[in-house]
Amino acid sequence: MGCAKTDLERKPRLLVVGNGMVGHHFIEQLCDQGLNEHFHIEVFGSEQVAAYDRVQLSKYFETGSADSLMLANVDTYAKQGVTLHLGKKVTGLDTENKCLHTQDGDLWFYDKLMLATGSYPFVPPIEGKDRPQCMVYRTIEDLEQIQQAADKSTSGVVIGGGLLGLEAANALLTLGLDTHVVEFASQLMPVQLNDKAGDLLRDKIEQLGVSVHTSKATTAIVAGESALHRMNFNDDTYLETDMIVFSAGIRPQDSLARQSGIEVGERGGIVINDFCLTSADDVYAIGECALWQQRIFGLVAPGYQMARAAVSHINAAANKAGTPSSLVKFEGADMSTKLKLLGVDVASIGESRGFDKAQFVELTDNQAGTYKKLWLDESGRYLKGAVLVGDASDYSLLLNQYLSGDELEGPAVDLLQREEGAGFEMKDNAIICSCHQVTKADIVASVQAGSHSLTEVKACTKAASGCGGCSALVQSVITQTMEEQGLETEKGICCHFEYDRQELFHLCQVEEIGDFTSLIKTHGKGEAAAVGLGCDICKPVAASIFATLENEYVLNIQHANLQDTNDAYLGNLQKDGSYSVVPRIAGGEITPDKLIALGEIAKRHDLYTKITGGQRIDLFGAQLSDLPMIWQELIEQGFETGHAYGKSLRTVKSCVGSTWCRYGVQDSISLAIDLENRYKGLRAPHKIKFAVSGCTRECAEAQSKDIGVIASDKGWNLFVGGNGGMRPRHGDLFAIDLSTADLVTYIDRILIFYAKTAARLQRTSVWLESLEGGLDYLKSVVIDDCLGVAADLEAQMEKVVSTYQCEWRTSLENPEFLSRFSEFVNPEKRPKLNVEQYRYRRGQRFPVGSVGTIAVTNLPSDTSKNVELVELSK
Amino acid sequence: MNWVNICEQTALPDFGGVAAWFEDRAIAIFNLGERGLFAVDNIDPATGVSLLSRGLICDLEGDIFVASPLHKQHYSLRDGSCIEDESLSVEVYQIKCEAGKVLVKRAGNHSLV
Repeated sequence: MGCAKTDLERKPRLLVVGNGMVGHHFIEQLCDQGLNEHFHIEVFGSEQVAAYDRVQLSKYFETGSADSLMLANVDTYAKQGVTLHLGKKVTGLDTENKCLHTQDGDLWFYDKLMLATGSYPFVPPIEGKDRPQCMVYRTIEDLEQIQQAADKSTSGVVIGGGLLGLEAANALLTLGLDTHVVEFASQLMPVQLNDKAGDLLRDKIEQLGVSVHTSKATTAIVAGESALHRMNFNDDTYLETDMIVFSAGIRPQDSLARQSGIEVGERGGIVINDFCLTSADDVYAIGECALWQQRIFGLVAPGYQMARAAVSHINAAANKAGTPSSLVKFEGADMSTKLKLLGVDVASIGESRGFDKAQFVELTDNQAGTYKKLWLDESGRYLKGAVLVGDASDYSLLLNQYLSGDELEGPAVDLLQREEGAGFEMKDNAIICSCHQVTKADIVASVQAGSHSLTEVKACTKAASGCGGCSALVQSVITQTMEEQGLETEKGICCHFEYDRQELFHLCQVEEIGDFTSLIKTHGKGEAAAVGLGCDICKPVAASIFATLENEYVLNIQHANLQDTNDAYLGNLQKDGSYSVVPRIAGGEITPDKLIALGEIAKRHDLYTKITGGQRIDLFGAQLSDLPMIWQELIEQGFETGHAYGKSLRTVKSCVGSTWCRYGVQDSISLAIDLENRYKGLRAPHKIKFAVSGCTRECAEAQSKDIGVIASDKGWNLFVGGNGGMRPRHGDLFAIDLSTADLVTYIDRILIFYAKTAARLQRTSVWLESLEGGLDYLKSVVIDDCLGVAADLEAQMEKVVSTYQCEWRTSLENPEFLSRFSEFVNPEKRPKLNVEQYRYRRGQRFPVGSVGTIAVTNLPSDTSKNVELVELSK
Repeated sequence: MNWVNICEQTALPDFGGVAAWFEDRAIAIFNLGERGLFAVDNIDPATGVSLLSRGLICDLEGDIFVASPLHKQHYSLRDGSCIEDESLSVEVYQIKCEAGKVLVKRAGNHSLV
């Protein structure tokens, strides 16, 4: 519906063309300033979806969905009074009559207009570029097409070895394709890196299985013989591939400006001034479509700065009383960048390719696979640029030095030889978060005002809520400020230790401490060490650490009094003080005979019987003193403990996979049984659940498990960090097409690394998110062995596997351990009690008073005699 | 009220808890070595379930507590008070060892309860 110009409107109209990251940031800034009250705002997005995080686009293939990328939606806009039109293309701009034309023929008048149209991928004019499965990499829709094409392909080529090209190559690799990168220049990332850095990056990427072809110009794409396409190169060589992704740069999307006579640059881009105003009255442009002093800024942070400048200008014009000092100018932006490409750290700062008469410091470490180069001015006293490959941990320090413009304090090489973990002084006005322009002083102020965690500081200052690259730095400023204020930074698991679980684990391992008394005497806080009793927090933590390290029987004399509620009696305590019993049914596979045996035992002991979500059977209502007899019978029938009571491996859920299923591509049930038998008994900071699915239909719901395995036609895809429960999370794709041996090696390493480093009661999902460097870091530890601990982790797991015992069998075979299950020390003195403790429903036993607070009645259609009315509890 | 013989001293586990019948009720007995023996109600007043003997011993705030296995309320072994909820408490019993026997008696000021 269009609006005639004669409409009486109280509010001036602000139209925004484009709903990408920068366009979205502009809306956020407008609303922050309350300008959504002043203006009637309408936004036009040409894509079918609202703004999403384009920087993280390749995550789409890791998670299989765009949900985690979304930044905006129609509803949240509407709540702020902003109307968002999706899938509506703006086809014309009339600056004289101040109106827009949309593709459906409507006309929209404006008082102020913002162009945030972004850019489009450049496709070189090569013969055959329009053949099928020749695509670009820019939008979610592009990704969907790439995914569809990948399903039909075994190989893929990315044309362009720049930043985006390598992102696209990562996507193809994730999709399981034989991946190639073709670059016209003689090296990768020719814009940011010098040749040596480019070569090192190439080596690292080739190690990951990506073939890199440099100095190749594609002359034509024709039909191939062994694959869909053949790409002919200018040196008379060729390469055959099933699909091609063009990533040869971007061009500013300036067509609206062009056709309406707004000034554009010679090579494209809408010309803007320091307030982002174009040559037409009341028309602004920001982001990748804008040209400022002959420069296009292809990063998100400068786009955000433009948005702020434009908002301040619009605000000043709207409130004529506004003080001039509130005007923010766009004054160019630093294009330094740090990122991970295919798992390789790459950073460039300032003049990263050097310049005439520059001095430099260069450091190549072939052993570590790192390359660092600093560019200094003629005098050698000022840092002008830097490039880092393989290790970008110096980035923040160098960027601060570069941005401050300060003279170096010592020799330049000192900048690269900082002691591990040494802090560095930043000026108060140093920008910590370049996405949101947050300075160190802003963060310090927010900490002083009472924000003491990263989450709180993020919410107050927005720092680290853009690309997130500065979170570690923000955290260090928080810690430093709190220490300066004399605030205790939360440390230590409880009042008896000032160490967290990871530190305690390390101490126990290095000093070979295997009992709680030694631990608290040597490492407890003063008073705590003297008393030596500990509490219900530190004792179970110590028990878990000892169990992971030594895997001894948990109820032996040293450990029995440390165990938490369930471990303490090898059963799951229920609300009435009774226990439930869960024998292991590996992979959920059970013979009819064992199923019958289980039923008979449950019947004999009158145990309420229920099938669990983990594909096993839970028997409820066992009294403490009945447990040994029930287990005696279970073990005689060939069962073993299911460790349902432990913070340990629970079940490996599975589907039948290729054994029975028409669709299964691998034998998921055998793998599930093998995995369950391998890791049973492993104790960890929290319970661990696995699942194995035999094909991508994912019937075992592996992505909601701590460790999820999904069969591919080439092997197994491994997911880590999934969770159900109250904080559901899909696991992250960790590696694809693994052999069973590699899969087991990776799981060994991941689980022990988790057991060593996670906090108390931290599930893998939270642990993974809290790991500095996240999934990529975990990959580098587990796959690339960046810490050099892989062999130790495997040995540790081997020890746990080889010392497995069924704790119930051990208990029954050693009568001295059984005494703790006789609940009363003088059972003969039991008074005569006549209290009804249980009642029967649906043919089974329940504790009295066990009904919920909501009435459950038999449904009209339910004619079962066993369904009774359930009374409301008091 | 008189001392009641509960069991042999050797029947008590070291540094752990055990339940015992005393008169008409269940009590929890904790053997803390040199620190001595402690006895409180076995019923967790927060839930009415008889299981405090299965709780973990804790050194907190300069006192010794047992943590309920169900919802982790802490009850003092010296005066029966609850850290988390002032309105909850357990009864504390006198306990001693004589000639290898464990003897329990109601505390004086609770004798009429």
